[in-house]
Amino acid sequence: MTLFQVLLQMVLALVLAPLINGLIRKGKALLQNRRGPGLLQPYYDLLKLWRKGTVVSRHASWIFRVTPYISFLTALMVSLMIPMITTAVPLSFFGGVIAVIYLLALGRFFVALAALDTASAFGGMGSSREMTVAAIAEPAMMLSIFSVAITAGSTNLSQVVKSTLQHQEQFLNPGHILAFAAMFIVLIAETGRIPVDNPATHLELTMIHEAMLLEYSGHYLALIEWAVALKQLVLMTLLVNIFFPVGVGSGFTAASLATGLIAFLAKLLLLALAVVLVETSNAKLRLFRVPELLSVAFILALLALASPFIF
Amino acid sequence: MSYDSVELGHRLITLMAAAMLVVQMLLVGQRLLPTVIALFSLQSFFLACLAAAVAYVNQAHHVYIAAGLTLLLKVIVMPLLLRRIIRQTDTQEEVEGYLNTPASILICGGLTLLGYLVAHPFSQSQGHSHGSLAVATALFLIGFFLMMNRRKAISQVVALLTAENGLFLAAIALTYGMPLIVEVGILFDLLVGVMILGILTYRIAETFESMDTSKLRRLRG
Amino acid sequence: MSLVLLLLAPLVEAAACGLLRSRRWMERVSLISAAINLALAVRLVQNVARFQSVSAFDGFLYADALSALVVLLTAFVSFVCAIYAVGYFRTDLERGSITLRRLKEYYILTPLFVFALFLVALANNLGIMWVAIEGSTLASVLLIAFYNQKTSLEAAWKYIIIGSMGISMALFGTLLTYYAASHVVGTESIEGLNWTRLMLAASSLNPKALRLAFLFILMGYGTKAGIAPMHTWKPDSYSEAPAPSAAILAAAVLNCALYGILRFHILASRCLGPEFSSGLLLWFGLGSLLIATPFILVQTNFRRLLAYSSIDHTGIMLVGFGVGGSLGPFGALLHMFYHAITKPLLFFCAGNVQQQFGTATFRKVGGVIHLMPVTAVLFLAGTLAVTGTPPAGLFQSELTVLSASVQGRSLWIASIFVGCVVTIFAGFLYHVGHLALGAPRIGMNRTAESWWRLLPMLLIAALTLLFGFWLPSPLLRLIQQAGQIVGGAR
Repeated sequence: MTLFQVLLQMVLALVLAPLINGLIRKGKALLQNRRGPGLLQPYYDLLKLWRKGTVVSRHASWIFRVTPYISFLTALMVSLMIPMITTAVPLSFFGGVIAVIYLLALGRFFVALAALDTASAFGGMGSSREMTVAAIAEPAMMLSIFSVAITAGSTNLSQVVKSTLQHQEQFLNPGHILAFAAMFIVLIAETGRIPVDNPATHLELTMIHEAMLLEYSGHYLALIEWAVALKQLVLMTLLVNIFFPVGVGSGFTAASLATGLIAFLAKLLLLALAVVLVETSNAKLRLFRVPELLSVAFILALLALASPFIF
Repeated sequence: MSYDSVELGHRLITLMAAAMLVVQMLLVGQRLLPTVIALFSLQSFFLACLAAAVAYVNQAHHVYIAAGLTLLLKVIVMPLLLRRIIRQTDTQEEVEGYLNTPASILICGGLTLLGYLVAHPFSQSQGHSHGSLAVATALFLIGFFLMMNRRKAISQVVALLTAENGLFLAAIALTYGMPLIVEVGILFDLLVGVMILGILTYRIAETFESMDTSKLRRLRG
Repeated sequence: MSLVLLLLAPLVEAAACGLLRSRRWMERVSLISAAINLALAVRLVQNVARFQSVSAFDGFLYADALSALVVLLTAFVSFVCAIYAVGYFRTDLERGSITLRRLKEYYILTPLFVFALFLVALANNLGIMWVAIEGSTLASVLLIAFYNQKTSLEAAWKYIIIGSMGISMALFGTLLTYYAASHVVGTESIEGLNWTRLMLAASSLNPKALRLAFLFILMGYGTKAGIAPMHTWKPDSYSEAPAPSAAILAAAVLNCALYGILRFHILASRCLGPEFSSGLLLWFGLGSLLIATPFILVQTNFRRLLAYSSIDHTGIMLVGFGVGGSLGPFGALLHMFYHAITKPLLFFCAGNVQQQFGTATFRKVGGVIHLMPVTAVLFLAGTLAVTGTPPAGLFQSELTVLSASVQGRSLWIASIFVGCVVTIFAGFLYHVGHLALGAPRIGMNRTAESWWRLLPMLLIAALTLLFGFWLPSPLLRLIQQAGQIVGGAR
């Protein structure tokens, strides 16, 4: 809507995204009794990558060069379509949450193509693995968000948040809880965290997401890393604001924005803590067992969808 | 009692029932046997909380006793017995069931929907349809399915116990539990059953050198 | 009073055997206790004949003619098994197949088993009845795993897993029954599950719930009774358990499981009308008959043969209960009576042969008549009796069920019935004939058959013959009264 809103949300998203990464890394390190990198390290990494030169494979086509921009732009657009600190979203395309999912899928599609584009074996391997994970994770995500959307009566995300805010007793609804559980598993899968994928691994044969990015360098890599961080922020925002929209303001007054921001940050912190706990207490699953975990998410989402008609 | 706390109580009951169902789903693909036992213990804990909530909301005091017994026996004593068996027979992991995990999970989803269908005519006549009867039937059916699908003896025992959890939940949902002496009898039976199953599992592990029940195939016809 | 004593006696016996160390004393205690049980059961029958029904503890325990019949049969079977067990286990001990400690387990578990079976018939509360049936399952698992061989453990595992699945279904059914009555009897008192109370309120029970409840009960307790298709545990358990335990399983547990089904059948008939539950019983009965028949024909193991025979008899009883009318339940209960008296004989003979030859396969055993003449003759006689040859009582009861089915329903039920029974007769006789007659195995000598084993077998044979010709009128009246209770005339 207004330029101010768009800018505000955009800046918030861009600034917060790497911070979440830093938080999770620091949390993991502290739990493992290390000091770990600083909280602001991801920003320094992005800055460092931005200034470096890029190396592009001889076999790569225009897709390789275009993908980082597409990935970044879709992630940024999606972050503008999710209510973060107020219920009003700056961008609102047809279908609300459906557009969100498809934009994310578009970004993923291009990254997968670009990995194949360099004719490197690891890239192809990464693409196929990523698509395997996506094949089950995406339906699970869709179903779990739809289950909330059905109770709210609309797929427009700001509408969903407003409606959930009005009927606060929904929080204890079993369908709600099931959808939340499913979405949490999807979060782990889509952001490539243990137990699905190890984001810090250096072994190419165990990579899922990282394998697709092996050929990227310089500012391309910076853009894609930022896009990944934005996607992670988007999914976490979906989790906290759709399922527990406590503290999301409705107006544009300074007070409601401030409380919304504080509530948002607090919820993100809690969710990041949960992710840290899950990552630290689990080992990475072998690849053929990842569909098992994701089918659990799928069934939970299915049950969440069915529950308003049955409970 | 104000209206709000009754509403809250009902919400809590539904929440606990859903939590029990989630735990049952997590049990389906679970490989590590100690985790299986821990999940069962968690599910029984939710069950005890649910029973206590029902007792509070409906002023049915004998259900408190049943909840307390469940807490004692199913959350503490039985998992202890089961863990002892695992230690004695030195098994830590389950082998793949007769059906692979994603297929079993899909079947469990189907069984849950079936449970809802079966419970639907009953929940209409209840005062508050929490859906706990649906969850109870689902737990029961999924427990049975797990008993047939799992191969290690101890997983079959835990699956049976989760089916019994479903039955207890159904009892609470339908009639605020059965008469106390019957509940005590049932729990006592379960306890003795687990002990005997433990003895039998130990003997099987010793004689067959594995707890894999698919090796029990000599008797035919 | 007799009710309480009936329940206390086996518990005292179990405790006593737990404290004893010598084999002789354990045998003595079990024999005396079994005799006391039988006497108490007879007394119960007399009381019920006089007072129509006996109850204790404010309706917690209750016995009418049906209960008294089941208790009497259980007591009789445990009595003859106690006598037989003496000789049977002495041989096992001599051979070193079991240790004294194992034997002590038998003498502790069996009275607990019998206690549970008595409680099934005497409990008024359907929930306590469930607890007792589950208790009997638990008490008998270790008896099936007695010899601790791979096959015994497999049989015991199947028994308890399939049994537990069935029992859970039965619990669900009991729960639904309680729910069906909850709006009438309330949910506070224990009375809500008492059978007598439910019968009084039968017409106002929730029919939908009761229908579903009966289905679950039939599947659940039917698993315990070994009704097809829930019978798969039976052949394994009957072939692996020691002969006396198998006899109690076949003759007593079967009755108690059927008793459980019958209580719900009576309730369901009163509430829903007889067509629903009788129809189900009829179908399952015919199914059992049809499934048991081919397995009997192609059987290679005589212990498993006896299991299929008991499945087929269960089928006959269910058909009798299912066709209803005036003769159906009476014929079925008469069948239950004769079956419980005759079946242990077969188990004892089979046990003798198995112990002597070390195997239960037909092919490896032959010409028993040369080696153990009394056993062989009684085996043949028992086979003839069990398959319903006159003048054995089973002939009369089968004929009664047959005439009830001809009277009540279409002729095709009767023809399936006759076809199966005749086929079973042929197959059974063929197998046992080969076993008993024919050339003996080389190298085996005639063995002395101890009196401990022969006595119960001869006793049963005599009773079967006697009751075939003349059933004492108190017993006849008891069975008739029980038949009336099932038929809903009360």
